[in-house]
Amino acid sequence: MFSEDDLVRQHKHRADIIGNIIIFSFVIILARLWYLQIYRGDQFRLFSLENSLRKEVIKAPRGMIYSRNNEMLINNIPRFDAIVIPQYLKNKKATLNKLAQILSIDMDDIKKILRKNRGQARYRPIIIKKNISLKEVAVIETENNKMPGVEVQTFISREYRDKEIGAHLLGYISEISQSQLPRYRKRDNFSYKLGDWIGQSGIEEKFDLYLRGEDGFEFVEVDARGRRRRFVKSNALFQGIENKVSTPGNNIRLTVDRDLQIEAFKALEGKTGSVVGVDVKTGEVLTMVSNPAFDPTQFSKGLTAEYWNELRNNELNPLRDRVIQEHYSPGSTFKTFTAIAALEEKIVTADEEMMCRGTFRLGRRIFHDWKKSGHGMTNVYKSLKRSVDVYYYNIATKLDIDDLAKYAKMFGFGSKTGITLSRETKGLIPTREWKRRARGEEWQLGETLSCVIGQSYILATPLQLALSYAAIANNGTLYKPMLVKEIFSNTGEIVKDFKPQKVGEIEVSEASLKAVKKGLYQVVNEKGGTAWWYRGRGIQMAGKTGTSQVRSMTSKELFAKCTDMPYKDRHHGIFVAYAPYDDPKIAVAAVIEHGCSGSSSAAPVVRDVITKYMKKYHPNTYQKIYEKEKKAYLAELRKQQRLKKQKEREEAQASESTQSSGDQESE
Amino acid sequence: MGIVNLYSATHASTYLSGLYKTQLLWYCLSCFVAVVVSLIQPKNFFRYSYFFYLFIVVLLILVLVLGHEGMGARRWLLLGPVRIQPSEIAKIATILVLGRWFAKVNPDREMGLKELIIPAIIAGVPTILIVLEPDLGTGLLILLIFLVMSFYRKLKWKTIGILALIGIISGGVMYKFGLKEYQRRRISTFLNPGKDARGSGYNAIQSKIAIGSGQFLGKGFKQSTQASLNYLPENHTDFVFSIFNEEHGLLGSLFLIALYVILLFRYLILATTVPRIFDSIVMVGMMALVFWHTIINMSMVTGLMPIVGLPLPFMSYGGSSLLTFGICNGIATSISNSRNLF
Repeated sequence: MFSEDDLVRQHKHRADIIGNIIIFSFVIILARLWYLQIYRGDQFRLFSLENSLRKEVIKAPRGMIYSRNNEMLINNIPRFDAIVIPQYLKNKKATLNKLAQILSIDMDDIKKILRKNRGQARYRPIIIKKNISLKEVAVIETENNKMPGVEVQTFISREYRDKEIGAHLLGYISEISQSQLPRYRKRDNFSYKLGDWIGQSGIEEKFDLYLRGEDGFEFVEVDARGRRRRFVKSNALFQGIENKVSTPGNNIRLTVDRDLQIEAFKALEGKTGSVVGVDVKTGEVLTMVSNPAFDPTQFSKGLTAEYWNELRNNELNPLRDRVIQEHYSPGSTFKTFTAIAALEEKIVTADEEMMCRGTFRLGRRIFHDWKKSGHGMTNVYKSLKRSVDVYYYNIATKLDIDDLAKYAKMFGFGSKTGITLSRETKGLIPTREWKRRARGEEWQLGETLSCVIGQSYILATPLQLALSYAAIANNGTLYKPMLVKEIFSNTGEIVKDFKPQKVGEIEVSEASLKAVKKGLYQVVNEKGGTAWWYRGRGIQMAGKTGTSQVRSMTSKELFAKCTDMPYKDRHHGIFVAYAPYDDPKIAVAAVIEHGCSGSSSAAPVVRDVITKYMKKYHPNTYQKIYEKEKKAYLAELRKQQRLKKQKEREEAQASESTQSSGDQESE
Repeated sequence: MGIVNLYSATHASTYLSGLYKTQLLWYCLSCFVAVVVSLIQPKNFFRYSYFFYLFIVVLLILVLVLGHEGMGARRWLLLGPVRIQPSEIAKIATILVLGRWFAKVNPDREMGLKELIIPAIIAGVPTILIVLEPDLGTGLLILLIFLVMSFYRKLKWKTIGILALIGIISGGVMYKFGLKEYQRRRISTFLNPGKDARGSGYNAIQSKIAIGSGQFLGKGFKQSTQASLNYLPENHTDFVFSIFNEEHGLLGSLFLIALYVILLFRYLILATTVPRIFDSIVMVGMMALVFWHTIINMSMVTGLMPIVGLPLPFMSYGGSSLLTFGICNGIATSISNSRNLF
């Protein structure tokens, strides 16, 4: 052990060197401290007491959203909040009292807010009252000297110009929540921060990364009361510190037309439901409105508890976008596709007639037509025009459900349309396979009978209906719905350009499509068609009405007057149409919940939207059709008058003759 | 040594408004660990050093494979509710093993480059694993400790020269290719604090303002007005020294530095008076660990060095680092006690 002890001693020299290094290092540190604290200490002390450097985030203005015709739909408008910065608060009681007076709120409320935020850093502003009036702003600004720590904060609030109109489509923004933060960071691969405002639904959500822009920051010198110094960078210390300007978000041009939106919303007034219109040749969504709706501005202003409760307690769920998030039994609007399937599968020919006596018997069950007395002899045109159920019951006995599903799926039913909005539902087209999997049962023929007239399991969204009828109108091309035409930067450069996208070509013979189209034309434009009374003027619609049963009913209930039933049990009214028949431009679907019938509730909505569209975009065609219809109407009128006169004459003659005969008799 | 621990405990808790309770808990724990460690005979450190070292290496590999990610680096292992940072303990393990190796090989000759190969590997393995995490600061720290220890173990001056040359060259290469973007930015920020888009130069300036405004006597306990320092994400860890200076001034710093110097010299004197060479070398290693931490942290907050995330021993918030220095003190006490047995 002694030798080892010696060994340790041998290292004494090295240890001394290390000791010196230690001393030397700390001397350097002390020298540096002396330099900072004594040599330049006065300067730093003054600085820390009188000024400080504050890094302020400059929020990037969020991009705008425009209609297809460049009308602004969303605007950024400054809002003012009264804030308190606890760090700079002096003479707390008097200051807060004064503030309470200016804002005409209770002192205790202010204290409550301050207490709630006690945990956070003292330099962080606390919002006392949101959205204060300009007068209050002016008072606070002028009294600023007497109230250190109280300030007005400008905040950009997003105003949705048309309030509730198209709210679901545009969506809303709100502050990112603690629970969303990690999820959204992962989802978008973007480092959101607490306090960031993000799109929570609609276009605002889906295109958030385009719209949000990039925040900048600015270093500002503030004095001991937290106010900005007038002379920026007055201190030599801050030389060379650079600010970063914010980059405004990109703007979005939608395919949606503002006038149509307004018209559609007006048409839905007082009704619960939705309407969607698409361009037949591109799949561009021209209008998309759901009612009841909400006012997105309220969200971006900072939601009040009352408004939120009002939305939440409304059992009609105003937050729900009924165009894509709700699916319905399409009812008779689905007969169009049954007819196509039947024609294609050669179950019937277009002119083949079947007898309808008002009921159809399958085994022991009796299936009813909506018209108790029946329609008589019916071909495919009449079956659509009059919506003859029995005709389709006959087809159902020969048409396999899987074959029907094949055609329905071709038209986009049973799968998502792929619209760039969240929470789209895909509806349902049943098959044997599906039933086995979902219900564990075999398919029943009776179910096919319900399915061919669009009831039972079949479910579709209004958007799917509009797109499928658009596909019929354009002779067989199914488009992906398009909402955004282009995204362009603040300087007008196009960032992203969107082109129409085909989903698929529908492989159906032209003859079948033609036959069905003819039937759809008759629905609206021939006397006796289910939508004849809602045909409008100058638009030449071709479409189909539908009634969606909310629940299965006994035959007695079925024929009871719908408006007499309890609201919840009333049928949904559906109408889908395209126009004009000769050269289709637009396809529109409307679903009115518990509207009783497609013709009376939904058809007027579709008619109004299409009329507005035709007047705005194809005024010449509108005028031409209008003149033609007028001529035809007048001709009809004249004909009727002629007939009437003739009748009168005949009657007169008849009475004359009877008179004369009487005369004769009397004679 | 316990007194030094206690002293730090009373002081550091002053700046940690909400966190001081947790920190106090960690202090108690690390004191406890220090006492436990001090009861272990130094020869046991010697005996089990390799085993301990291998264990730590395995842990470091585990961290790389299934570690918990935080702030862009995998540094933590989750053991139920406890997060441990193996790189902290790796420093001690490396010191022990290096001590054992230096003690055994060529006890009384000056060392050349050849003798340095195996110790370099010993220090290199954990260093590389830690740098991969990535935690460049801790990795470099192990290398620095290694240098001090080999210097103490009579490294030839010529070899030192060669190593310095290699260091300069490899450092240049590293800066060019090996560093991550944020690390490079920190260095360039240091060289030119104004020209920084992300505002990390702002930290450096705020730190300087805080220190400078302390002047000679300081503003007094809890009187830090440099509230903008709250913008610093690490004001209770890496930047405690700036706040300490602001509140207690140059006088306070003199006192604090004096304490550090006393501690370091006690370690160093202990190293030269213990009977066994292993103990002596380990003590130098411990001394180097505390020394580098202190000096790097202080230089960094006073703007003498780029900002690297190294805590100030006994002062900064953070359980792992406290525990490490607790163990340091424990080992020192144990060695010191064993000396008295003779």
